[in-house]
Amino acid sequence: MYLGPILLTFVVGATLIALYFIPHHQAQEINSELLLWATIVYAFALILGSVSLWSVHAQRIRQRISGWPFSLVTLFALLGTTFMGVAWGIGEESPLGRFYSMVNSPLASTMFALLAFFIASAAFRAFRARNVEATLLLVTAIVMMIGRVSVGEFIWRGFPGLTEWLLDVPNLAAKRAIAIGVGLGAVSTALKIILGIERGYLGRTR
Amino acid sequence: MPSELDTRLFDPGRINLLIGILLFLAFLIINMLRARAGHSFFIRPLAGLQALDEAIGRATEMGRPILYMPGLGDMSEVGTLASITIMTRVARKVAELGCDLEVPCYDPMVMAIMDGVARQAYREVGREHDYKVGSIYYVSAQQFAYVAAVTGMMLRDRPAANIYMGSFYAESLFLAETGNLTGAIQIAGCDKVTQLPFFVCACDYTLLGEELFAAGAYIGREPVQLATIAAQDWAKALAIAVMLIVLLLTAFGHPELRRILQVS
Repeated sequence: MYLGPILLTFVVGATLIALYFIPHHQAQEINSELLLWATIVYAFALILGSVSLWSVHAQRIRQRISGWPFSLVTLFALLGTTFMGVAWGIGEESPLGRFYSMVNSPLASTMFALLAFFIASAAFRAFRARNVEATLLLVTAIVMMIGRVSVGEFIWRGFPGLTEWLLDVPNLAAKRAIAIGVGLGAVSTALKIILGIERGYLGRTR
Repeated sequence: MPSELDTRLFDPGRINLLIGILLFLAFLIINMLRARAGHSFFIRPLAGLQALDEAIGRATEMGRPILYMPGLGDMSEVGTLASITIMTRVARKVAELGCDLEVPCYDPMVMAIMDGVARQAYREVGREHDYKVGSIYYVSAQQFAYVAAVTGMMLRDRPAANIYMGSFYAESLFLAETGNLTGAIQIAGCDKVTQLPFFVCACDYTLLGEELFAAGAYIGREPVQLATIAAQDWAKALAIAVMLIVLLLTAFGHPELRRILQVS
């Protein structure tokens, strides 16, 4: 039952790995073509996504589930933007383009701006000196904050150098250790999928 | 320009990477053979994965849903593939206990695959009819629209457990902080180094980097899967040895050997 998809995954995965090592222009054209196929498949998946979005929110409105007015706004936006795109195109000066830059972008920026408050509340929780590790984190954070502002140098000349050392030595060492682990884990997962050892994406749990 | 077309059949600048992949493949095969021969592998306990069952059990007792977020990565991200593997195990447990599962997706292709995976998990435990169509759904491919929708859902529905597994970006802290505010038990696993501190601050358990990729094997406990983690450890030991050798040789006046670690 699973032989077909596993074989297909192996062929495509092995081909893409081989193409990474072959700089020949024809091989790279095949690579570009394969990536184009992925875009086409994504476009079809977007139809599935739209159907899912419609059915989930329509159900919420029908059953008056908590927060259903938001679902109404979502469906209105889905229909409205689709109509604008089909009727007047998707250029920068089109109604959809204007809607995007005047409504969507400011909304996204507003959400992003809230990040400062979330960082403050997370930092407040993380910096409580409950144990040795948390105290170490608190002290490091204080040194970092003082060292990164101009007044830090007036308090003690060594602060900027100390912050640089913290960033470039212990911080970078930890980041690189995690990054190497992630890299090896990613290669391992990719190989497991290509070789058919990992079949979770086919729905198999055993 | 035709004269500029590359006609080489192999890029010599990537020979080190090819050797690395072949060595890794060899480690994988050796350890799989060891597993088939009956060798048992030890994996240190991962608190975050041990807590998964506890979180699902808690949600069942409270009668509240479990929110599973597969991240913002698409199917080309290995973190998303690892997330799908974990989802197969979570969906199976959820199906066994009969609690509600909500999976808001950022990528429509990930949504389609997650839906298939969950249906199959329900089928495997013989509760196919309990699967709720629409519990795995598409939200938006806009990062902050996704954040607004999911955090809104967290505040309205108050899920008992929030599970974040996959590739997350700037939205990680928004989601994890809001989840923390609702009092849900939170388990995260992320392959993005820059987002890990946010999850560590706001979640009860966090899988750091490679632990996300080991999760599937850890939960499944199948010998062949565990063998892949052993292969990964061998590769890591080799990477450490190579780095130490190059470091020492550079210190002793042979900096040109650093090139063996560079990829074109």
